[in-house]
Amino acid sequence: MEHTVNYLVCIPLLPLAGAFVLGMMHMFTCKNPLPEKLYSFLAMLGPLGSLIFTLIVFATLREMPAESRYLTQDLFTWFSVGDLHVDMGFFADPLSTLFLLFVTFIGSLIHIYSIGYMAGEENFGKYFAYFNLFLGSMLILVLGNGPVVMFIGWEAVGLCSYLLISFYTKERDNVLAGNKAFIVNRVGDLGFVLGVAVLFWGLHSALGGAGFDYLNIKASASSLTGGAGLAVCLLLFLGATGKSAQIPLYVWLPDAMAGPTPVSALIHAATMVTAGVYMVARFSFLYASFPLAGDVVAWVGILTALLAAIIGCFQRDIKKILAYSTVSQLGYMFAGVGVAAYSAGIFHVFTHSFFKALLFLGAGSVIYGLHHEQDIWKMGGLKKKMPLTWIVMVIGALALAGFPPFAGFFSKDEILFMALAKGHWMIWLIGVGVAGLTAFYSFRLIFLVFHGEPRDQKSYEKAHEPPPVMTIPLIILAVGATFAGFFNLPSFFAGDSMVSTWLAPSLLEHHSEASRVTEGVAMVLSIAVVLLGIFYAWKTFAFKPQDKPLTGFAKWAEDKFYVDEFYNAFIVQPWIAFGRTISNFIEPNIVDFPIKGTAWLYGVLGMLFKVFQAGYVRVYAIYMVIGLSLMSIFLSQSL
Amino acid sequence: MIEDYLVLSVILFCIGILGVISRRNVFTVLMSIELMLNAANLAFVAFARLNETMDGQILAMMVIAVAAAEAALGLAVIILLHRQKGRLDSNVFSLLKG
Amino acid sequence: MFESALTVMIFLPIVAGALILLCPAKGAARIIGFFVSLIVLMIGVQLFIDFDGQAGMQFVYSTPWISSLGISFGLGVDGISLLVLLTSAVLFPLVFCVLKEQSRNFYANLLLCQGAMIGAICATDLVVFYIFWELMLVPIFFTIGLYGGPGRLPATLKITIYTIAGSLLMLVGIIYVASCYHQQFGVWTFNMARLSALSLSGGFAGWAFLMFMIAFAIKIPIFPFHTWLPDAYTEAPPATSFVLSAIMAKIGVYGMIRFVLPFFAPEFISWATFFLFLGIIGMIYCGIAAIGQKDIKRMLAFSSASHMGVIAIGVCAMNVQSLTGSLFQIAAHATSTGVLFLFVGLMEERLKTRNIDALGGLAYRAPIFATFFAVAMLASVGLPGTSGFIGEFLIILGTVKYSMFLGLLTGFTLIVGVCYMLWMFQRVFYEKESETTTRFTDLTAGEAFSFLPVMILIFVMGIFPQLFISKIEPAVQQQIAQLYAPAQQQVVTNEISVTDK
Repeated sequence: MEHTVNYLVCIPLLPLAGAFVLGMMHMFTCKNPLPEKLYSFLAMLGPLGSLIFTLIVFATLREMPAESRYLTQDLFTWFSVGDLHVDMGFFADPLSTLFLLFVTFIGSLIHIYSIGYMAGEENFGKYFAYFNLFLGSMLILVLGNGPVVMFIGWEAVGLCSYLLISFYTKERDNVLAGNKAFIVNRVGDLGFVLGVAVLFWGLHSALGGAGFDYLNIKASASSLTGGAGLAVCLLLFLGATGKSAQIPLYVWLPDAMAGPTPVSALIHAATMVTAGVYMVARFSFLYASFPLAGDVVAWVGILTALLAAIIGCFQRDIKKILAYSTVSQLGYMFAGVGVAAYSAGIFHVFTHSFFKALLFLGAGSVIYGLHHEQDIWKMGGLKKKMPLTWIVMVIGALALAGFPPFAGFFSKDEILFMALAKGHWMIWLIGVGVAGLTAFYSFRLIFLVFHGEPRDQKSYEKAHEPPPVMTIPLIILAVGATFAGFFNLPSFFAGDSMVSTWLAPSLLEHHSEASRVTEGVAMVLSIAVVLLGIFYAWKTFAFKPQDKPLTGFAKWAEDKFYVDEFYNAFIVQPWIAFGRTISNFIEPNIVDFPIKGTAWLYGVLGMLFKVFQAGYVRVYAIYMVIGLSLMSIFLSQSL
Repeated sequence: MIEDYLVLSVILFCIGILGVISRRNVFTVLMSIELMLNAANLAFVAFARLNETMDGQILAMMVIAVAAAEAALGLAVIILLHRQKGRLDSNVFSLLKG
Repeated sequence: MFESALTVMIFLPIVAGALILLCPAKGAARIIGFFVSLIVLMIGVQLFIDFDGQAGMQFVYSTPWISSLGISFGLGVDGISLLVLLTSAVLFPLVFCVLKEQSRNFYANLLLCQGAMIGAICATDLVVFYIFWELMLVPIFFTIGLYGGPGRLPATLKITIYTIAGSLLMLVGIIYVASCYHQQFGVWTFNMARLSALSLSGGFAGWAFLMFMIAFAIKIPIFPFHTWLPDAYTEAPPATSFVLSAIMAKIGVYGMIRFVLPFFAPEFISWATFFLFLGIIGMIYCGIAAIGQKDIKRMLAFSSASHMGVIAIGVCAMNVQSLTGSLFQIAAHATSTGVLFLFVGLMEERLKTRNIDALGGLAYRAPIFATFFAVAMLASVGLPGTSGFIGEFLIILGTVKYSMFLGLLTGFTLIVGVCYMLWMFQRVFYEKESETTTRFTDLTAGEAFSFLPVMILIFVMGIFPQLFISKIEPAVQQQIAQLYAPAQQQVVTNEISVTDK
């Protein structure tokens, strides 16, 4: 079977080319911008082209026998130093193809949505340039043939995230949020780079100068020693915590909501933040052989899920709620891949991208309709004004809460069930608890925004349904959020686990079997918890909710447990203070001391000798006499 | 016999040095220098007599000639100094002070 | 390539510089300078194309000079010096096109500087190297002292005396090395290849090693010898800052690789961890210091010192990957931080200020300038796809091999860089437009076209680094093999090659 093709490069290249063209156009015409229609048209070419090529890849892969289902394209040697040999090349297997499919599909939808959302904005062209750049980078990340090529995309999506978070650059807070995202991501990247380095040195004798790509790594992975392997897994996971917003590096994601809402939907919900999960799944052959690393991943994931869900229950900003919800759902995904249920984790990435993009775009419509009001306590009763948005948001919330038969139910339940089946009952228990919290905060949002009485009459009056260019993507996503779950219908419902079967060749997974009764009981239990959460939200917020100041634990949770303040006080401020100290004190007084000391010594010596230079001729005459006398004495002695 | 001449010469030379060192008037300094030259002349002549050669005498004549030239130049310099500062106190001229 | 290409590259700028002083029209000086540097650039590029990675020392030119001491005027290029040479040949024309400095004297000095630097890079004889090494300092002295900022005089004195102190130590080292060779083989020579037969250690050799190291450490500069740098870089005119950071500092690294590694292999191996640690401290220390600066140029100066720390780390980690990374980073750093100095120079020319607090919102007024600046900045923080990544990645990879822990510390370069760069970018280019920035005008077409090649180079070096690496990697392999080879064996092979000639 021929595995080498020549069109893989087009998938990332088309959006990148689009980004270049749009960026140039914008840069040279930003004083008197070109028509938005032109930008919109050009911006759509890249994503749609990628989508088409992705479909070709998908079709080609389907033709292949399952066990050797991959396509590669090597462009050129990127760099080759000693026995490190890195090819610039692309690699598509079932895992990356799944990612390609939803990234290009949802990316295209959000591009369309953005045309409506960003209409009339000042930097319309720049926005789409960045958006195309992001899509191209994300596709490189997914398609890269090895960890180093993946790192191009990995960093470039971070850059785009920075650019788009701080898109409204005139506000300092937005730029600060962008900086925070970039810097926190860089902390993760440190882990990633070191992980790659350790991986390379662990394998380099086995690789023997062969290309440092997934196929070769996988083939020689068995030569990795225990310590090095564990180090690789944990370091790579550090990278994942940065990109996918897990403890301890999750703090940037809520702040990232400073960007335009479609950005939050695409980058900070559906695609970029799932890169960490993709990476762990990509290295499943490593994580599977080092169960300790897997446990760390699972525990960090589930604890993040819990923490973020708690914080999410008490936020007021509609986008912040969704952001914490994203962090929480990412935690689920990591719990899934951590317990070696890779296909379940990836499937949750897949479904999540639909319903979370839907929720964000829905929230975007609400914000758009209310003219940039984001506080849910100032909304209410919008059901009448925005019925379509209401329907899709409810679908999204049901999917997020994991209510059958919406998409989230199947994927989340699969993760929880796998955790239970593999014996991690604590993780399962916390996971079920988080499911209840998820249901609670998502319906708190729905009830506060769409039900009850309008709390802010003025903005309610102006509220309106967005234009079709925005609602059509919403409807498509809503359909996805409803039915995406059926792609991986488990055998419990007499399904054939299509996605898991598709992914199987890419992932090293051992399926654990548990009895049907256990599965059924677990499922009923989690549905019950979800219903409880929805019911509690309904009881508290559906009728005459009280916006009273929070106290005690709730206050702590609303203030995000002061994690940001902690980082600020113990890392950021000392860092800056140290920088100031260095330039004001240490540098001039301590490090420069030997130099200044030498200069001072010369000064002092000069002062000393200066005394003898009286300047009077007589004094010099005395010196002469003294000198001559001494010479005479010396001569007379030696004679 | 020769010692007496030499002692006189040394005494004259020391008086000259003392004059150069202790007097502040530039004129006196110049005169003291003349005194030192003459002390040297005395020693030359005394040694010439002792060794019964003419070298010393000739050198003494040379010194007298040089001293005359020096006096002429020195006086010219003194006049210039006086024009510059209006005084002949050597402490006024301390450009070499460090 | 014609035989005396290197000689032309060295003396054409020097002679042209002298002629410029006689040139009556002021404007002509700049144009002549530009064309001379353009010729040097073309020769340099042609050299690079003709260079064969596998062939060792090439374009060799040698003529006896002081034969009684075995000193000859020897020039040549190999994989170690190739990229440094290319950098100093390729980036120089920029200096003449973008800044509006007035005087003939200034351009004459710059040309002298280029000639001297190329001379130091190409010299295959230690005495010739030393002469050019000291000659480099003369134009720096004059350009900072005459055309620098308000605090230029102390800054000039500091850099001059500091570096001269270092190079005098090196002179002692050079004489010691030659006399060791004389003792061992009975002939005087200052030829580098022949001196490489020595592998000195113990006794005075330890001191001689430190003398060399200190000389280079001051030039690079490695912490704690960096204190001349912030003053000099800040007070210098932009062109000089650019030359200092983009090229001169690299010659220090080059010298370390070229001389210290072969002459003092055992000493270097035993001291490597120490100097590696100094590099790490410098990298983090200067990176943190950069965040405390109010003056963009001073911030860039610290940033440059921080990056040089990384390059020094790569040399001290002593394996093929890290050393190649260092050599690559030498060129890459010139395209990023070096060019940033020129951008700041442009900014200062227009706004008469470099104070970060007084700026803001430049991006709205000057999108092209902001884009170019951002590209150079991203290259400087090592974003993959730009020139800065490959070097940093290889250095970190190599250091991890040397020691996992030190590799971890080296990795912090990824973090410290973005902290101050993004902070500065935010204050200068984003946020609300300040009153000062309303005076700013975007790059003119001419300026944009001058910078365009560098922008392209940043991406070419990031995406096709193999073009460069393939030419330098064999030389690095050989250097590393020689470093670890037992001394005896080296002597034998060296003597064979000497007798062959």
